[in-house]
Amino acid sequence: MKGARLRAEDIRVFSDAAGAFFLQTTRRRATVRTAYLLESPDPVVWDDFQGLIELAGRYRGSVGFSAPRNMLSHLLLMMGERDYSEASHRDIVGEIANQMSGYARRHFGEGMLIAPPKVLTRGQPAPRADEMAPFAIPMNWERYEAHLVVRMQPGA
Amino acid sequence: MSLVTRKLLIVDDSMIFRNRIARLSADARLAGLSVVATAEDGVEAIEQARRHRPDFVTMDLTMPRMEGPACLAVLRTVLPEARILVVSALSDRATALKAMMEGAHGFLLKPFSDEQLIGSLEELMA
Repeated sequence: MKGARLRAEDIRVFSDAAGAFFLQTTRRRATVRTAYLLESPDPVVWDDFQGLIELAGRYRGSVGFSAPRNMLSHLLLMMGERDYSEASHRDIVGEIANQMSGYARRHFGEGMLIAPPKVLTRGQPAPRADEMAPFAIPMNWERYEAHLVVRMQPGA
Repeated sequence: MSLVTRKLLIVDDSMIFRNRIARLSADARLAGLSVVATAEDGVEAIEQARRHRPDFVTMDLTMPRMEGPACLAVLRTVLPEARILVVSALSDRATALKAMMEGAHGFLLKPFSDEQLIGSLEELMA
C-alpha cells in the first residue's frame, strides 16, 4: 500500500507536532495516541471541522487536522479570542493544520511545500486522494478528541 | 511626556492570529506601538504598506495570492527602513535563513507563547 511508505520516525514528527502545538499555545498537554493506518483511501471528513493542507514539491498528499466544534471553541477561549463565530472556528482549524504541517518541515525539509489551508466541514465531500491510505493520529486535549490525518508519499 | 507612536502592520492569512498579535502588541512593554493596518495576503500587505508606511511589520510566509518570500522582497523596497518580523509555522532551518537573507530582522516560529511574541516585538523595536 502506497501510504505505508511513511516510516515510524516520519509519523512521530506529526505526533510531536500535535504535542507541541497544544503545549505551546495553551500550556496544557495533549495526549497523543498511537497512529494507525486507515484501510480505505476514500476521503473522509472527520469531526465538525477539518483543516486540510495540501502538499507539493518533494512530497504529495495532505495533512488534515479534524476536531469537534467544542474543542475549537475552548482553544479560541484559551487564546484570548472573543469571536466564536463559524469563521473563527474555520480559521483556527486551518491554522492548526498549517502549524502542524510547518512543524513537520523540520524533519522533511524545505522540499515539502505547503499550501494555504482549506477548511472542510462534516458532511462535505473531501478531495479525492488517489490511492494513498492515510494514517490517523488520535489525540486528546482536555476532554476532547481530535485526529491528525496524514496522507503523504514522495512526489514525482 | 509625549510618546512617539510607532506603526505596526500585521500580515497573516489567519484572522485569529492577526487578532492575537494585535492584542499582544498592546502590552505595556511595547509602549508606543500601534496597529495601523492588517492584511491577509501578500498583495494586500503591499497595498497597506504603501498607504500607512509602517515602522514594523509582522509577516506570515504561507499565504494566498502572494507568498511570504515574494512579499518580503517587495516590502524591502517599498519600506526600506521598516523592521520586519517573520512569524511562520515553517520550521526548517533553510526557510528561516532565507527569510533573514531576504531582509527580515527576526523569525518567530508558530506556535508561540504570548511571552515569545512580546519578546520578539521588543527586540524588533530596540
